[in-house]
Amino acid sequence: MKTAESLQQTWRLFLSRSSNLLIPILAILGAFLISGLLIIAWGSNPLEAYTALWSGAFGSLASIATTLTRLTPLIFTGLAVTYGYRSGFFNIGAEGQLYLGAYSVVWIGVTFSDWPGWLIILMGILAAGLSGAFAALLPGLLKAGRGINEVLTTLLINYLIIQFFEWGLRVDHVSKELDQKWTIINWIGLKDAAQPYPKSALIPESSWLPSLSSVLNSEFFTTLFGDAGWFQNLVSSPALTRITLAPVLGLVAILVVYFILFRTTVGFRARAVGVNPEAARYMGIDINRTIVSSALISGALAGLAGAMEILGSQHRIIPNFLLNAGFEGIPVAMIGQLNPLGVGVSALFFGALRAGANRMQIISGVPTHLVFVIQALAILFAVAGTTIHLTKKKLRPRIENHRHENTQVSPEDKVTDA
Amino acid sequence: MLEQLWEILLSVDFYVAIIRMTGPLLLAAMGGLIAERTGVITFSMEAMMLLGAVGGVIGSGVFGNAWIGLLTAVMGGMMVGLVFALMAVTFGANQIVTSVALNIGALGLSSLLFAMVFTARGEAVRTTITVPSLSEWRIPLLADIPIIGPIFFHHLPLVYFAFLMVFVVWYVLFRTTWGLKIRAVGEHPQAADTLGIRVARVRYLALLFTGAMAGLAGAFLSIGVLNTFQENMASGRGFIAYTAIVFGKWQPLGVLLGTLLFGAADALQLRIQARGLPIPYQLMVAFPYLVTLLVLVFFVGKATWPASYGSPFARENK
Repeated sequence: MKTAESLQQTWRLFLSRSSNLLIPILAILGAFLISGLLIIAWGSNPLEAYTALWSGAFGSLASIATTLTRLTPLIFTGLAVTYGYRSGFFNIGAEGQLYLGAYSVVWIGVTFSDWPGWLIILMGILAAGLSGAFAALLPGLLKAGRGINEVLTTLLINYLIIQFFEWGLRVDHVSKELDQKWTIINWIGLKDAAQPYPKSALIPESSWLPSLSSVLNSEFFTTLFGDAGWFQNLVSSPALTRITLAPVLGLVAILVVYFILFRTTVGFRARAVGVNPEAARYMGIDINRTIVSSALISGALAGLAGAMEILGSQHRIIPNFLLNAGFEGIPVAMIGQLNPLGVGVSALFFGALRAGANRMQIISGVPTHLVFVIQALAILFAVAGTTIHLTKKKLRPRIENHRHENTQVSPEDKVTDA
Repeated sequence: MLEQLWEILLSVDFYVAIIRMTGPLLLAAMGGLIAERTGVITFSMEAMMLLGAVGGVIGSGVFGNAWIGLLTAVMGGMMVGLVFALMAVTFGANQIVTSVALNIGALGLSSLLFAMVFTARGEAVRTTITVPSLSEWRIPLLADIPIIGPIFFHHLPLVYFAFLMVFVVWYVLFRTTWGLKIRAVGEHPQAADTLGIRVARVRYLALLFTGAMAGLAGAFLSIGVLNTFQENMASGRGFIAYTAIVFGKWQPLGVLLGTLLFGAADALQLRIQARGLPIPYQLMVAFPYLVTLLVLVFFVGKATWPASYGSPFARENK
């Protein structure tokens, strides 16, 4: 009766997986429902407002492009929080790591503006990842070595980085040859000396992430697909000129993080430590090393969020250039049920809300602020739903209620640690 | 440059500003300290302050009396405390995630409520309005003392209340049965439960108190300083209050010191900016965070924070 057993197992697996899908969907619907009451109280028609919101997010090529631009950094910060959380490192420092990542990219682009574009992109991405990881290093070490709560340390480091960022934006970036009063500080600072405001120079246009249409028009793809009809149609679609490579890289990142987390030893160790450090220790996993490496990976992902925003969309930094995208990584990860694939979907939800908010205000008169309320309600419902669901299933471990998904080792998780 | 710095440091006005800027931080931090001591994380004080700020403006504007504004501010803050308690205590949801959600939601809801109350139908969304505000109390006789008088005895009533609360919170925590219950719940909820203390009720009440105090802190900003509401008015002060609790190692006097440090740093950086001194003012802003980090690394042991910190309690866990 092996087939019956395996069928039963598959069914159970499906149930446990579908609740992961069902809860966020119900949470989002509930959020729209309750917010609808607010819209009525405001004196507008909820249906009209939501239609405008939808068309602002997906109604035209331009709005889809905006949605994709908004969602890209959220994918990366959502992944950063997901990876950290899964491994027991609750990274609420994504905000600072993102800012430091963006700073590094702009610094590379402005300092080495004579480099070819592809090299700036490559080195910029590398620098952003490294600086994000650097920002998470100390919290990782302190948690591993001294058991100091990473929530507190990552939060504090956010503020230190943001103040560094604000300072750097007010120090002229000039070269040694041009300015007699040059000091090392002018080398670090990023303010465009020609501007009266705290604003960096643009990175060279050659280093802006190319649009999808120019990628497809490159020699590689044209020789590969040549005159295939579908390819010609795709290339000539005007939508692709407005969408850059950044969301595609976000998609790649989702798959890579999924692979690392569920298909490699590094990811297995991380999750084992996240679920139960004591058990992981008995399995022979070096807990301290795992905590530090998870912190570094999480920080690097958040740093990349900054790189994507700069290379793909803003091309320069200004104060508050991407406010709260780091903190929003936390709800993105939670609504995504701490699964990289789920992060993609919840980042889309968040990005679409932001992209459609303006149109909603213009057409139905409902202030853009409403989307914050929708987001908050969706998170609250999703978190409450997940927690209640797990309590019912009596899956909740004694102290940490939130390491839920992995309390039961599902078949695909049975990766042996070499 | 050094002379100008001395000039700032020796001016009475600088110290008046320190006390004034400490006010809202201290109010929120003293409220938060009580809830923190019961073992919950008060990362949602930012949301409580925002709803307190808008609640204050609404109450004051609608009823034409700033004192009613204080009442509505308290209600606004307590509303957030109640939702947080429902999520964290009753459902056992993750407290940081819940707090982040509340902070995002309060950012939107506070601006939305402000627009709802003060914008007539069909009118463009109003962003500024002036409402009756709290006025400063000059303490007779004491305010006449040179230097000390203006620094300490000519402030909003909320400032006196905040400093008074340091003593009250200390007294309640360490000299009353309530305080014993609060600390027992924070240190060992299972044991407290065995002794017949209702863990959930203590945490609910503590969070409502935090909401009320952070609501007052919000009102301090809206009807105490500006007489209006602005989007994202708390601008991180809720997080600063939280940081001050960490800095003070969960002790009332330490927390007072922490809020004073943040207040002083803020007062100093504003003056450095205003005079255009060639000192990076961001260094002043960052300084208290840096000190808190150092305190955390060098002076805070695992035993410093409440043992059940951040984890929910369910009776079947016994």
